[in-house]
Amino acid sequence: MLNYTLRRLLAVVPTLLLLIVVSFYLMRLAPGGPFTSERPLPPAVMQNVLERYGMDEPLHVQLWTYIKNIVCCFDFGPSFSQKDRSVNDVIAQGFPVTLTYGFWSAVFVLVCGVPLGIIAALRHNSFWDYTMTGLAIFSQIFPNFVLAPIMVLLFTLSWGLLPGGGWNGGQWQYVIMPAVALGTSYMAGVARLTRGSMLEVLNAPYIRTARAKGLPERTIILRHALKPALLPTLTYMGPVFVYMITGSVFIDIFFSTGGIGQDFIDGAYARDYSILLGLAVLYAMLTFVLTLLLDLLYAWIDPKVRSQL
Amino acid sequence: MNRRSMLLATLLSSTLMVQAFAADVPEGTTLAEEQTFTYRVLDEFSSFDPQVVEDVNGSEVVRDLFEGLYNQDAAGNIIPGVALSHSVSEDNTVYTFRLREDAKWSDGRPVTAGDFVYAWQRAVDPELASPYAWYMELMSIENGAEIIAGDLPNTDLGVFAPDDYTLRVELSQPLPYFDKMVSHATTFPAPRWAIEEHGSAWTRPGNMVSNGAYVLTEHVPKERSVRERNAMYWDDENTVLDRVVTLVIGDDAQALTRWRAGEVDKTEIPAGQYPTLKEEFPDEAYALPRLCNYYFTFNLDSGPEAFQDVRVRQALSYALDRDVIVNAVLQGGQFPAYTFTPGATAGFEIPRVDYAGMTQAERDAKARELLAEAGYGEGGEPLSFTYLYNTSEAHQQVAIVASQMWKQKLGVAVTLENQEWKVFLENRGAQNFEMARGAWCGDYNEASTFLDLLTTPSGYNDGQYSNARVDALMAAAKSSQDTMPLYTEVEQILADEMPVIPVYHYSTNMMLNAAIQGWPVDNVEQTWYSKDLFKVAE
Repeated sequence: MLNYTLRRLLAVVPTLLLLIVVSFYLMRLAPGGPFTSERPLPPAVMQNVLERYGMDEPLHVQLWTYIKNIVCCFDFGPSFSQKDRSVNDVIAQGFPVTLTYGFWSAVFVLVCGVPLGIIAALRHNSFWDYTMTGLAIFSQIFPNFVLAPIMVLLFTLSWGLLPGGGWNGGQWQYVIMPAVALGTSYMAGVARLTRGSMLEVLNAPYIRTARAKGLPERTIILRHALKPALLPTLTYMGPVFVYMITGSVFIDIFFSTGGIGQDFIDGAYARDYSILLGLAVLYAMLTFVLTLLLDLLYAWIDPKVRSQL
Repeated sequence: MNRRSMLLATLLSSTLMVQAFAADVPEGTTLAEEQTFTYRVLDEFSSFDPQVVEDVNGSEVVRDLFEGLYNQDAAGNIIPGVALSHSVSEDNTVYTFRLREDAKWSDGRPVTAGDFVYAWQRAVDPELASPYAWYMELMSIENGAEIIAGDLPNTDLGVFAPDDYTLRVELSQPLPYFDKMVSHATTFPAPRWAIEEHGSAWTRPGNMVSNGAYVLTEHVPKERSVRERNAMYWDDENTVLDRVVTLVIGDDAQALTRWRAGEVDKTEIPAGQYPTLKEEFPDEAYALPRLCNYYFTFNLDSGPEAFQDVRVRQALSYALDRDVIVNAVLQGGQFPAYTFTPGATAGFEIPRVDYAGMTQAERDAKARELLAEAGYGEGGEPLSFTYLYNTSEAHQQVAIVASQMWKQKLGVAVTLENQEWKVFLENRGAQNFEMARGAWCGDYNEASTFLDLLTTPSGYNDGQYSNARVDALMAAAKSSQDTMPLYTEVEQILADEMPVIPVYHYSTNMMLNAAIQGWPVDNVEQTWYSKDLFKVAE
């Protein structure tokens, strides 16, 4: 397993390099640059600005400097649009925000979705099952950009219970709506997936054997059925979790959380190449690390997978 | 100092002295217990460094944190800031400012002329590479352009401190509105010691030393910033608001919701919602004239052949019913425009241009006549072109309405094309368009900020209009004491030659909590200072 992990980690380096090189050139294909503005800068001023950011050099030299600075000093360069700050500053400020509400959103998805799915499976074709399935479909057809304004209208405007946005250092009142709005449709997905796979597992021969042995129902479900039933949920949650903690553009803009999702969209509009590239590298690294963790988790749950590593 | 400039100096100092401005709380007003003003901004600020900041919202914060030579009053006139008065040499090229001696930085040091010299040298320094170096160039300070180009050291800039409270500025050419330009953020003083100690991190709370009515106490980029009263400010005793908070809210509708919930005191009104909001909140919805214009520009360089014919350009302009656009489409208190310069501009009276005085029916008839004469439209060659604008719902509405007017009245076929902002700027700047949207907000409150755009050397003249007479008139205006006749003639030429079609002059639409008082509603640049505001008990 250790060998496998090392191999996977080694593969990260060339992939990241490729990502940087391709994104570096792709971004510059978009018309306009970071200093294109309504009032075109006089040539002398433009020249000074380009020199200051090293953008007067040929592209491959800029790329080389960029990679060199990352390797030597983990320095992702200055931001062009937030002039007093570096990309490192921007990510260090925004990522914890996104991570916080993304984490709580994932917790919400699992804590609500899994039990709902299990209950529905255990009470198959009963009132509870129909209610759960109805609820799941209902929340799945409500994308977050519909749900969020409705939540704000109710919880902020009508009842005055929660603030309509902001972050305020991550106080719980400010985290609830972003986390729930981000997670609801995934929660519904998890509930349906869990229900389906739980039903399948409950009909498996080894569960019948366990029942025949006279094991208590609780032991059968918690010890024998739950683990395999969660596998599809896990597969589903892996990429969803990466998406959640890397920030939703909509949630960040709508709730003004200050997370990195907003930097991504602002960076694109402002042609802030260094912010965009820095975020792309961050996203890629997170994806690598989390999928690796997920694969290891699989191996832990499923002996079949373990033997293949 | 000769007699004339002495007289001028006395006049200026006397007018300036009387109007020292602070929160003007009427007798008997009950102030709110908590003097906090919270307002919404759309984006994170570009910077809090006076010499670096380039966005409007950032400048608002910088104006609270720092104080320049002059401030603006509620009507947009200049009033004393750190400078009490100034005198001008006879040839209008040397300005000498007398600074107040009680101005202090937030760390207690006195604000001296040297702090201005340092700041202005910094603004043109190629090493700082401030995009707003162009503003210093515009101010025509001696050697400014050469320093920016890297030909001279920044210590050669024509700004001097003969003593701690006298600032002398030498200009390379006379500039009648120079004194108006020193209320701009780029010209604010800078604390050398703090900048040298902290580098670019000097603008963070805790590091920043500032000389304005407020100091920065908290800044969470993309979320909030907080500024609180500066006890060292010379006029702190007349300041009322204790705390000013900005919240970054990227979504207009959400910002309005949070205004309704009382989370912010001020926000912009989403496009098209002014009439309903005005009805619902008559005392809190505002539409104020603003120093910005909106126009269509012809590509006279590589555009369609038909645009070379002045009759075609006039016909398209005449057929545009501006009243419909302003009153039925935009509905936000905008003004129909027949001249390039907004009527709200200081010292500018909208000159009488012929087509403004006609009724729309007369204009329509004239338009048909002109187009037929030029050999286009019904019975002639069909006229078609593409109109390019930057992606936005409001611009789209204007484009659709305008193209329909041209189609119905003149039989002109217009294809509409929209592009993302920077793509649009790139294409318009490279003359990759036939007709394009244009808009401009004044950098300072004087007609030349608009009319200069249509001179041959202007970097913003994307339609490539060139008229030697316009260039000469605008050059003469730089040093003239009586500019209005010159500007009137320029506007007349523009109305005759129609290189651009003026559409409307902007208004500022905002929701402002009725408890917040002292807002400078008459200031067309919307230059406001938190120190002039106060909150009354509800």
